This record gives sequence, C-alpha cells and structure tokens, in this order.
Amino acid sequence: MKEFRKRRDCYAVFFVIGIVLTLIFAMNLMLVAAFISGMGSFILFIILVRQHLLLRDANLIWDNPILTVSSSIIIKSEGKKWEAEKTIFSTFGILMGSKIYKWGSEGVHGVRLKSILIDRERIHLTFGDLKKTICVEMLHGMADKQAVLDVQKRLLYETGVSAMISGW
Amino acid sequence: MIQFKTINDRIFSVIGFSLLFAYLLSFLFEGQVLYSILAYHDVHDSTYIVAAIVAHFAGLFSCGYLVKSPIMAKYTMLSSMGVCLIATVPYFFAPSALWLAGLIVSGYAGGFAVASWGYFLKAYTPKNERIKSCADVLIYSNIIMIAVNVVAINLSPFIGLTLSMFCLVAGMALIWILPIDKQEGWREETESKFNVGIKKPLMMLCLFVVVITINSGLMYQVINPAFEHLKELTSWYWAVPYIAALAIMRNLSMKANRSIFLYVGMAMIMGAFISFMLLGRNASDYLVVDTLMLGACGIFDLFWWSIIGEMLDYTENPVKVFGTGLSANVFGVLCGGVVGMAVTSIQLPSAEVAVIALTVVCVTLVMLPTLNRQLVMVLKNHVYLASYDNMSMSQKAEIIQRTKTLEELTAREQEVLQHILSGKSNREIAETLFISENTVKTHARNILSKYDVSSRAELISTLLKNQSETF
Repeated sequence: MKEFRKRRDCYAVFFVIGIVLTLIFAMNLMLVAAFISGMGSFILFIILVRQHLLLRDANLIWDNPILTVSSSIIIKSEGKKWEAEKTIFSTFGILMGSKIYKWGSEGVHGVRLKSILIDRERIHLTFGDLKKTICVEMLHGMADKQAVLDVQKRLLYETGVSAMISGW
Repeated sequence: MIQFKTINDRIFSVIGFSLLFAYLLSFLFEGQVLYSILAYHDVHDSTYIVAAIVAHFAGLFSCGYLVKSPIMAKYTMLSSMGVCLIATVPYFFAPSALWLAGLIVSGYAGGFAVASWGYFLKAYTPKNERIKSCADVLIYSNIIMIAVNVVAINLSPFIGLTLSMFCLVAGMALIWILPIDKQEGWREETESKFNVGIKKPLMMLCLFVVVITINSGLMYQVINPAFEHLKELTSWYWAVPYIAALAIMRNLSMKANRSIFLYVGMAMIMGAFISFMLLGRNASDYLVVDTLMLGACGIFDLFWWSIIGEMLDYTENPVKVFGTGLSANVFGVLCGGVVGMAVTSIQLPSAEVAVIALTVVCVTLVMLPTLNRQLVMVLKNHVYLASYDNMSMSQKAEIIQRTKTLEELTAREQEVLQHILSGKSNREIAETLFISENTVKTHARNILSKYDVSSRAELISTLLKNQSETF
C-alpha cells in the first residue's frame, strides 16, 4: 500500500513541477520548451490518474481481506512466478506487493472471479471477463481444516463463488 | 374543532405570507411603487433595483444556515418584516443615502422573512396540498400587488407605499397569532423518514429555475419598458394572465399530467418573444405579449414552488430548502436583468433579444425531461421506501428475490441492498456493516449492474414496480 501511495505522490510532485516549468517557459516566451514541458506534464497527468486508480483498487482490496499470507508465491497460468512478503486475498482481488489482480468491482461485465480450488498447499483461482481468463495459484499457508472451511464460507458470502476443497 | 383550527392556521399562514409577498412584489422586488417613487424624484433606478435584488438573494440563500428551529423561524419572520417596515420609511422623504441602505437592509431582511415561511408551509399544509397553498400565496399576493400598483400609478406613489407597508403590518399580525407548539414534532417526523437524498434533484431544480427565470429578467428589462407608454393598462393587466394561469393549474385534477403544461409554457414563452419581435407597441400587442409571457411564468412558478413544497417533507431544514429554491429564482431574475440591461444599453434590435430568449428556452427544453425524471423518481422512492419499511422481513426478501437480475446477488450484496432499501446512506451502511464506504460504493455499483439500472433511484423504481406486482 505504501508503495502505491509513494508512487502516486511522486507523480503528483513531478506533475506540479512540470506545470510550473511550463508556465515559466511560457512567460519567458520559450515556446518550444513550454510545448515540450507541457506535453511532458500531460503524460505525467495521465500516469498520475492511473496511479491514483491503482491506489484506489489497492485500498479496496486492503479494506476487504479474506486471507492474508505473510510470505507467498504466486504462479500465473503461463508459468510466471512472483514472490511477495505479504499477500492479501480479498473480495475484490489479490494485492501482492505492487502487483494487483482485481475482480468483482466493475459489475457483471467486468472481470469476475469464476472458480476457486483450495488444496493442501495452494489456492487455485480462475478469473476473467468474456475475452480473457487468467488462472493463478498462490501458497495459502493454512494448516488447519477449520481455517480452510472458514475461508470457504467467507468466500461464498462475499463473492458468491463456492470454493472446492481438495485433499483435506 | 381541531381540524377547523388546523384549517385556520393554514389560512392565516397563507394570507400572512401573501401580504409579505405583496409588499415585496409591489415595492422591493422591482415593484411599481419603487419605480414610481424613483421616477417622482427623478432618480436613476438601476443601482437601487440591482442592490435590492442582490440583497434579497443573499437573504434567501443565507437564512437556512442560521434559522434552524420553528421558534427561530417565527421570530425571524416577524423581526425581518419589522426591519423591512423601518427600512422603507426613508422613501417618504427626499432621496438620501438612507434610500440605498434601506433597500439593501430590507432586501436582505425580506429574504430572511420569505425563506422562514418554509417552516409554516411544511407545518400547516398537508403534504399533497402544498401545490394549492403555493398557488394561493402567489394568487393573493399578485391580486394585492395589482391593487397597490393601480393606486401607486394612478393616485400617488406615497399612498401605494403606505399600502404596501400596511400589507407588512397585517402580515406580521397574522404570523404573530400562529401557534408554534404544533411544529415541535417536525424534526422527529423528518428524521424517521428516508434519506434518498434531495440534494441532486434540488440542484437540478435550482438550475432549471435559474435558466427559466432569465426570461423573466429579460422581460422586466426589455418587454416592460417597451410598453411603458401604456401605464394605465399595464398597471392592472400585467399580472392578470399570471393569476389566471395559477388558478387553472391550481384547480387541475391531481391525476392530470402536469408535465404537458410545462411544454405549453415553453411554447408560450417562445410565442411571447416572437410576438414582441413581430408586433407593434400598442395596447392589443401588449395584451398578446403579456398574456403569453405572464401565463407561462404562472405555469413555471407554480411548478417549481410546488416541487419545493413537496421536498420540504424530506429535509430537516425547510428554511434552507425553501430559501435555496427561491434564491435560484432571484438569481435567475438578476442574470436576466443583467442581460436585459446590456441589451437595452446597446439598443439591440428586438429580433436579437428574441433570439437570446429563444436560446434560453432551448436550454430549458433540454433540461426538462431529465429534471422531470429525477424529481418523479425521488418522490416515488419516498413513497415506496415508506411502505417497504412497514413490511415483514420475508416480504422484503421476496421483493429482492422476485426482481430479475442479470446475475445472482451475493449474500453480501443482498445485505447491502437491504440497507439501501432502508434508506441508509453509504456512510451509514458502512458503519452498520463495519466495512469501508468505498466498499459499500463498490457493492452498490455491482448491485446496479446486476439489476441493469444506472442509479439508486432507478433501482428503487424497478423494485417498486415489482412490489406492486407482488402485493
């Protein structure tokens, strides 16, 4: 979360500097420099908006945790791996360091959580929209069956998806 | 006996306010008495007129922030009317700085007095009767204004001024005898109602009022001076079409489709400005232009006055809502007045004035369907939510389950929906469910998407339809 906020604030500062520079160049009639710095400010503004939206999504995930794993590995369907110190699995997505997978926040036509399988080691998730489906596995770190059943119950309540439990 | 007393209170409240309003219309708010006195002393009038309108706008707008209880409303109304009375006295004497100061003070105090009546309208008029009380107030005040105008123009402006001050005194007497103990329950009553939110519809209504009233401002500054040579006719006929339109609208059946009249009103405004452009400046031309213009004003004024009257039920502070609505009207008159003064000063041809007015009408036409939808939904939703609150849990659940969705709601979304239907705000839902406000907003967005609707108002209306089919 801190990382998202820090990045957003950095871009905000760069954007303000860009605007100030543009104004200074414009007032000194350095039109080319003003144009370049204006364009730069515009690009920074777009990035800033994107960062702000990412921070908002991260906040939403952070506010609705179902399972928090202190150290985890996430494996994507194409075999890509990420490691993170803290992973939050929530009603609206996964937050892993600076990586976000989100679902269930854009209505019926957005990305939806489709299926969940919990085995002894990992949670296997499938989510996506009409165009694309992504499969992700993550280490859950749960050793107690009751904890798994609690997570299953919570998932059903919050997301409407009934998690399958295997190997317990 | 109690019913008789309630009717009496309502009549006293309506007549008391009508007398105050007659004072405003005949003197303070571009009234003929003021114009006559300024003309009598050969004083340039635009500074006085603008100062009074700006002060009146400020009074109307700010009153709701200060007056927050029935007792305060009553005494604010009385003291403000008293201030108006004192501030009018300098007009019996030769022009001095007291004239402008008096006009500013009475304009501001007049705004306070008018806005404070919001409490009385809410307390003494039953919910579905407010359109009648509003119509009565506008009709009575305009009839009194015509009488004062005729006296001021044909006899003496000072007798006219005395009469308008007498209106104030009589109005104060009637407001004074109104009991205030009956209104103590208003806050509890309002708090038990549902918070669908009238802010957005009120803002839309204010915008509509501002835009439509620009035409009135233009009328004051452009049309009226063009017929100034017909003083004998204009002094009494000016508000007659307005009163007639109010009387017709007042006596329409409650089931009648009033929105059609709004479009008729638009056509009348267009007709008025086109006639002004094409016709001459004799008496018959005046009758045509004034009948169309003031008739339309009557239709629109009663429309937004009655909507504000209905909205008073859903607010804890009727003074604020009433004052805000009326201040939008005054602001519109001010904007129209500024446009009108500019038009008059550069001596724009009447064809171009008509184009400006028609542009305003076109903007209003664009706004009208959206505004109507918003207002109808807000009023319908309150009716629905009131009946929803009286249902058993199983009936509530059945309504939700029976309504078709694109995708089944999750248990959490059903929980959030129940709270939405109980009229809670996002913040209240978040506090009840121990989740963040942002989370509630996300769930609400998902719910709307699953019901394939675009707003909470539409969601409630969808469920309303289902409720009538179910029970």
